[in-house]
Amino acid sequence: MNTDLDLKDRLTAIEGRAPAFEPPPIGVGRRRRLALSLGSATLLVFVLAAVAVAGAVVVRTDVRGYPGVENPGQPLAGARLECMSPPQAAAYLATRGYTHVLWQVDSGADKPAFSTTAPTHGYVVVGWIDDDGQLNMLVDQRAGSSGVGACARMTMP
Amino acid sequence: MQILGRALRSRSEPPATTVAAVESSQFESAVAPLYAALVRRLVLVLGNTDEAQDIAQDAYLQAFRAWERFNGPDVRAWLYTIALRLAFNQIRRRRRWIAAIRRVDPKPWRDPADPDLWAALEDLDPRTRSALLLNVVDGYTQVEIGEMLSVPVGTVSSWISRGRARLREALTPSTDGPNGRA
Repeated sequence: MNTDLDLKDRLTAIEGRAPAFEPPPIGVGRRRRLALSLGSATLLVFVLAAVAVAGAVVVRTDVRGYPGVENPGQPLAGARLECMSPPQAAAYLATRGYTHVLWQVDSGADKPAFSTTAPTHGYVVVGWIDDDGQLNMLVDQRAGSSGVGACARMTMP
Repeated sequence: MQILGRALRSRSEPPATTVAAVESSQFESAVAPLYAALVRRLVLVLGNTDEAQDIAQDAYLQAFRAWERFNGPDVRAWLYTIALRLAFNQIRRRRRWIAAIRRVDPKPWRDPADPDLWAALEDLDPRTRSALLLNVVDGYTQVEIGEMLSVPVGTVSSWISRGRARLREALTPSTDGPNGRA
């Protein structure tokens, strides 16, 4: 160990050789809490196989990935829409040519409410453009919600 | 905060999503890529693969629950802070447990490729080891490490300099002759 660089290289290498694992699915408790009996494990294998087959069908047909419109490289990168009220965001979007926006308002129900006009209040959370070129904006109106991103903890507009 | 993952839809409906789904997607995009490195760091701090995996899972879930309140610039520092505090608690519990029943750690991890460095690291106190890794490998300043580990900067400085000195002492080849010290 002649230099600090040498120490950094060796420590980085030793850490790189340590075992690593995939992150757990969100909402699942600690690995040891999932310990199962052999019978339960067998049943679980069959259930997982069935779910995997069904899931593959669902994923193939129904799941799409959409980058947020404010992500780097996306049309509204850096717009900071989360710092605007929904009407302000609508006005801003109109100036950028987005006059037909589908607003999805999450008030805590199972599904969001849809509207083509911006809600009067709520937190603008994220926007995305789907396969049809439709700009969707998600607004949070859940009780106790707060701002996100650059305007985290701001008061409800 | 503008990462959007997947929206579940049927063919006849617009691609609906909820705030919870977006937050979950944002969390996974930002934090999941850090997970493997976190486990490796915890293996070095705890010296045990099973414990490292358990603590990493607990930290990951704690981070997910707190994700809505996170507004800092450095997700990795935030995640490591949560995990290292859990790790130190685990080490305290382990010491009590070992003292109570004289239990021997069943699956300690050892690095066969650089046994001298691993042995020297093992001799360091876990907090010293953590501070040294955060400073030398990750490049965090002593002030940042002090905030992460909730200790004064002077303590961090002492840990790092002591850790470096011990590693240097352990890893420097002896200049004495084959018969030992002169």
